[in-house]
Amino acid sequence: MKVGVPKGLLYYKYHPFIERFLLELDAEVITSQDTNKNILNAGVKCCVDEACLPIKIFHGHVIDIKDKCDLLIIPRIMRIREREFICPKFCGLPEMILYSIPNMPKVMTEPIYATNEKELYTWCKKLGKMITRDTSKIRGAFNIALKEQRNFIFGIKDEGYKKTIALVGHPYNLYDTFINMNIVKKLNELGVGVITEEYVEEEKIKLEVKSLFKRPFWTFAANSYGFTTSIAKNSEIDGAIYISSFACGIDSVVLELIKEKIGDFPLLVLKVDEHTGEGGIDTRIEAFIDMIERKKNNENNISAFRQHTSCS
Amino acid sequence: MKITFPHLGNTHLAAKALFDGLGIECIIPPFSSNEALEEGSKVSPEEMCLPYKIMMGNYLQSIEKGADTIILPGSCGPCRFGEYCELQINALKKIGHDLTFIVIDNPFDIGKKELINRLSKITNNSTKGKIQKIKALTTSYKVIELIEKIESIAHYLTGFEVNKGEFKTLLKECKVNAAKAITPTEMVNILKEYKKKIKNIPVNKHKSPVKIAIIGEIYTVIEPFSNLYIEDKLMDYGVSTKRMLTPSWWIKDAILSPLKLNSIDIRIASRKYLSHYIGGHARECIGEVLIAEKNNFDGAIQIFPMGCMPEIVSKAILPTISNDKDFPIMTLVVDEMTGEAGYITRIEAFIDMLERKKSDVLYGS
Repeated sequence: MKVGVPKGLLYYKYHPFIERFLLELDAEVITSQDTNKNILNAGVKCCVDEACLPIKIFHGHVIDIKDKCDLLIIPRIMRIREREFICPKFCGLPEMILYSIPNMPKVMTEPIYATNEKELYTWCKKLGKMITRDTSKIRGAFNIALKEQRNFIFGIKDEGYKKTIALVGHPYNLYDTFINMNIVKKLNELGVGVITEEYVEEEKIKLEVKSLFKRPFWTFAANSYGFTTSIAKNSEIDGAIYISSFACGIDSVVLELIKEKIGDFPLLVLKVDEHTGEGGIDTRIEAFIDMIERKKNNENNISAFRQHTSCS
Repeated sequence: MKITFPHLGNTHLAAKALFDGLGIECIIPPFSSNEALEEGSKVSPEEMCLPYKIMMGNYLQSIEKGADTIILPGSCGPCRFGEYCELQINALKKIGHDLTFIVIDNPFDIGKKELINRLSKITNNSTKGKIQKIKALTTSYKVIELIEKIESIAHYLTGFEVNKGEFKTLLKECKVNAAKAITPTEMVNILKEYKKKIKNIPVNKHKSPVKIAIIGEIYTVIEPFSNLYIEDKLMDYGVSTKRMLTPSWWIKDAILSPLKLNSIDIRIASRKYLSHYIGGHARECIGEVLIAEKNNFDGAIQIFPMGCMPEIVSKAILPTISNDKDFPIMTLVVDEMTGEAGYITRIEAFIDMLERKKSDVLYGS
């Protein structure tokens, strides 16, 4: 049986699990190509206009593989932590796809509540039943896949660079090199190392999140907030770049909370959408790095409030 | 303590009745207007949705009048509304207004103790006894129910009226007079009187006006300023409208949802197209369209603020429903840049189209 897995959204975070699980069940895994211009164009064409870039790209990935597979997995990820959500669009993703793209193959749209192993297994069992009847095989595949996911090392931490910058944002914006135009490579070429949230202890992130008046109910929002505010206190990190998709409701809130907390820690917000030009992104990154360099070389930080400071 | 609250349709009447009954001074912000929106936008994040900006405007105008405490209902996701309180507290602090915020969250998220704790911040300022407090609460609920009833009758029967504009004039008069009432009991009496009056307005039952259901994001459909007074406009055109989302519906829904007894009709209707609650009122939006279609409405207008996450999902589903059921649906996205002229043109064109469809004009053939 050919099972399609679109390479969009949280694929980047959970691909070891889902691919291993399907392989163990002797299914043939069909993944879409890496995101490219054609996928984006196909997605934009059929997706509802108001949606954000990652959702549009996901539509493109679905179109790319829908005719090549017998069963297509559209993840309806409700939550991955207790009493938290990801985004309303994730909960309604299967509906958005099914009512926007014609001629869909058989789809798997059961909700995923991945708050613990048991809940996740419920979903895997439903998926497994569509492929095989052997329950013990499903159980075995589940265990192997879970192990694979746990052993997989995520995140980026570059060593040996003079400057280090934190890269913040939703995982699909950070790891899809088409969306962010390969920002990690760009930064490395400029002599800047990158660190992502996986390399900050979870305890530190949680501690920062606790200081909020209201418990944030979006998983990635809580991570981004905790990560950025905790590295802002770390003198080894020189700045943060937040990659945000245009009209992302979650980012509009988190960014405001972050800005409120970190004071004058350098933060660059890169908005991406389907029209973003690479030249503009380059210019902004270079300017940001220049600014950080100057700040380092000049003890009198250059003020943003129109006061004169000598640069010599 | 001077309490204030953001506007949401007619809730200011109920709030006035409640706080008057409790003997707490409350300040009703001036009705949402362009000035309020402009002031609010100045202190709001750029990509934030429209309700946030209007609410900020309401607060700022109330603060000018001396308010020092803000009451705000909360929620715990997944829609942005739940995060409003945190951002608004910060934003107001930044411009030098250190106010008390009382956020009424669902007890299932913050715990019963915390809810009672927060509520007691309000009730401790009241000199009234327990029975009177409960009475104030029931009276204010009565007020909101009455005004909603009057409003929905007026909106629906406009299409059938004999003398044009009668319903609109009476509705306007009713709201003005109710706001003037000195005691909560007086307000209830005034509303009851208008309810009788509105039933006596002559209607022609043989007319068949265009009927439109108003659906979409709850704040933008209820707060008339945010949707550029679409219901008043439709009344002028002699169109009957119906909207299911109201403040009292919201209260009932919040109370019944833990028992899963809330809006059963909507759940049954929407099951085929959207079988999960995805946050906001996306599922309600889908359910309402299907109910409206069943009740022989001619079309539906969906309204939501730019960037509203749940409604984007329902917008993706609506074209399929429209095709399946041959039921016209128009989507209007509002934000602080919405131009009124373009907005009116679209509404008028939509109504023209519905009229033509109704009178079986085969366009172009």
